Amino acid sequence: MTSRDTEGTAVDPAGVQPGESAGRRGPSRRQLLTGAGLFGAGAVAGGLTGYLTRPDSEPPGAAATRQVSFYGTHQAGIITPAQDRLAFGTLTVTPGTARSDLRDLLREWTSAAARMTAGQLVGEDTSADAPPVDTGEAIGSPVSGLTITIGYGPALFDQRFGLAARKPAALAELPALPNEDLDPDYTGGDLCIQACSDDPLVAFHAVRNMARIGMGAVEHNWMELGFGRTSTTSTAQATPRNLLGFKDGTRNIKAEQTDLLNRHVWAGQETDQPWMRGGSYLVARKIRIFVENWDRDYLADQENVIGRGKVSGAPLSGGTEFTTPDFAANAASGLPAIPAHAHIRLASFEHNGGTRILRRGYSFTDGIDPQAGTLLGGLFFIAFMKNPSQFIQLQRSLASDALNEYIQHTGSGVFACPPGLRAGQHWGDSLFT
Amino acid sequence: MRRGRRGAAVAAVTAALALAASGCASSGSHSGGSSGTAASSDKTTTVTIDLTPQGCTPKPATITAGAVQFNVTNKDAGSVSEAELRTGDLAKILGEQENLTPGLSGGFSLQLQPGSYTINCPGATQPHATFTVTGKATGPAWESNPQLAAAVKGYSSYVTTNTADLVRHTQAFCQAIDAGNLTQAKVLYPRARVYYERIEPVAEIWGSLDTDIDGRWENPVTVASQFIGFHRIEQLLWANNTLTGAPALCAGLVKNEQQLLTLVHSAQYNPLEMASGATDLINEAATAKISGEEERYSNTDLPVFQANVDGAMEVVSLLQPYLQGKDPSLLAQINQRHAAVARQMTQYKASPGYDETGYVEYSTVLDTQRRQLSAAVNAFAESLSKLSVQVSG
Repeated sequence: MTSRDTEGTAVDPAGVQPGESAGRRGPSRRQLLTGAGLFGAGAVAGGLTGYLTRPDSEPPGAAATRQVSFYGTHQAGIITPAQDRLAFGTLTVTPGTARSDLRDLLREWTSAAARMTAGQLVGEDTSADAPPVDTGEAIGSPVSGLTITIGYGPALFDQRFGLAARKPAALAELPALPNEDLDPDYTGGDLCIQACSDDPLVAFHAVRNMARIGMGAVEHNWMELGFGRTSTTSTAQATPRNLLGFKDGTRNIKAEQTDLLNRHVWAGQETDQPWMRGGSYLVARKIRIFVENWDRDYLADQENVIGRGKVSGAPLSGGTEFTTPDFAANAASGLPAIPAHAHIRLASFEHNGGTRILRRGYSFTDGIDPQAGTLLGGLFFIAFMKNPSQFIQLQRSLASDALNEYIQHTGSGVFACPPGLRAGQHWGDSLFT
Repeated sequence: MRRGRRGAAVAAVTAALALAASGCASSGSHSGGSSGTAASSDKTTTVTIDLTPQGCTPKPATITAGAVQFNVTNKDAGSVSEAELRTGDLAKILGEQENLTPGLSGGFSLQLQPGSYTINCPGATQPHATFTVTGKATGPAWESNPQLAAAVKGYSSYVTTNTADLVRHTQAFCQAIDAGNLTQAKVLYPRARVYYERIEPVAEIWGSLDTDIDGRWENPVTVASQFIGFHRIEQLLWANNTLTGAPALCAGLVKNEQQLLTLVHSAQYNPLEMASGATDLINEAATAKISGEEERYSNTDLPVFQANVDGAMEVVSLLQPYLQGKDPSLLAQINQRHAAVARQMTQYKASPGYDETGYVEYSTVLDTQRRQLSAAVNAFAESLSKLSVQVSG
């Protein structure tokens, strides 16, 4: 039985952009199990897990073994090509938790996230008399592009942990916005964890284990699972569809557009908090779609509400999906080809003084509305930006969005996601110095 | 109110990419526009445009006004790949087919009024060709159907009558407020609201007016200065148990309703909008009323729920003569599902009822009961949504 230390070696060298190493042979948790064994062969040193190399009889799919570097200039999970599944958890810090406890937790989370994104167990069991260190449900599941991204909510910078002076000016609770009826059970949070993977179990496992590690210091605030990405964040990806049945994210900022990322997504020299440079602000909005009502709208009206053809994704001003919408074009009727209140018009950067954001949302469902018996689901909107004011501006523009008839914002959170780490660094290091 | 607003008119251009010999997928066949407003095919004129290195002469170059289908083909012109229909001065593109490389064909269809137009094909030696439409300006096809024309006329009158009643009953509501009679004002509030709730999709054409009359705190904006209609007064009366501030709000409400009355006098409707408006009313009932969101302070959701149903059934009843010939089974299904909703509503009737509404207070309707009502009303809305294609003529 051979084993080797993999932490920080199976991925790209520290200090570079997070990137995927598609097709690279990553470890699976099954190997971890069969390799080191749940009750370990004792080949564990320094808390690192050993594992067997993948047997040749089990050729992996390139997608399943896709492994994304945990380390880099920016946190992974922002411009990483959007994975298929999401687990998003927000947590509040348990009353009585000290500043040093919080700092310790962020360090533990860093180690755990580095291990999990490398396809390793959270930790190795050394005795059958102790509860397993890793909860185990992802054993055997390939890492499937797992990324773990954390963020700090505005409340974290109150008086509790002496962080008030470290609060970025840009980070504040969102103001009341059009067409929202927020459920307090799905709002706010001191911390957030965004775990994305092509395997839902792997994503869920990450949030579950991080919350478990934090037990005593943090507690669950709210959580959502996303199935089906609704955005593309790379030109290499095809545009997915949201629950409206329309393509979503056609005009999103893409990972390849470095200039746009620097202008609209990454916090830079403009921030008053040096620890935030290279980070980004995450806005999460739980948006219910009244799907039954939407499904009853006739096709031409659905297309007018969005401003695009349903099947083709082409703007109603003509062309194909990636044709730039011509908001000045008129239809034969003399009215705008893309109606005045069409979603893509009001959300466009052309309509908003050039303001753009990077969207990274997922479809979600919470089952059935207990009162109406209708589907309870919609879009779990996540977007990254240089300053949350970008989202506020866009959402205010959408006050007259024709789509508002069919949707409602029911959950909300805003978080400052710190920049990426080099090997040996930990989340919170720069925040707590 | 409905949560958003949409243009009163539907874009008239349909750009349907015909399947080319090279095998485009059928999923590309609908590239936008308004399939629902396409004129019946027997009246469509077909115009052929062959893209050549020299140009794009339409055949025929002169047609009479009405529905036109342009078929564009590129056999072997390497320098030309699109044809556009523009206004005579070239200023506006009215329809186009792009990306036709040699071997591909496509097209677009639209309604054309008399006038002079230009076919434009960039890259050709002679990129502009004149296209002429003669004859009289054509009205929509439904106008020539007496049953649909009568239905539209009847609906116009229904909207006007209900808007006038809305103003009258709101004035009575305001009088009670001005007199300081809180109890009477609470009784008159839902009585005024039902007239609005029957015709709401029409009022919604003038988006800001709908917001001013029926807007709720969060829709569309959480700004106190824009929360000025029925529901702000409702909040004062029930949640704050006061009339302070209500007289001025009520006077403003009446003013907005009077403006609505002026607008509906000159508004024009069509069967498609009538039908989709009926669906919208029941969608509204299925979401805002079932949840109790709309009348959250007063709990008078049941009478306005009934008003939504009545407004939708008025549309059905006006379209009934036409539907009896066009799709009797759909008509039967709608009536059957309406009856199912009506049966559910019977159990909540009371006399004189909560605030003399004729119904019980909505907060007493249990979640399990709401769910039954929701199922019935969603099934009703589902059948109503099949109306639009039957009447779009």
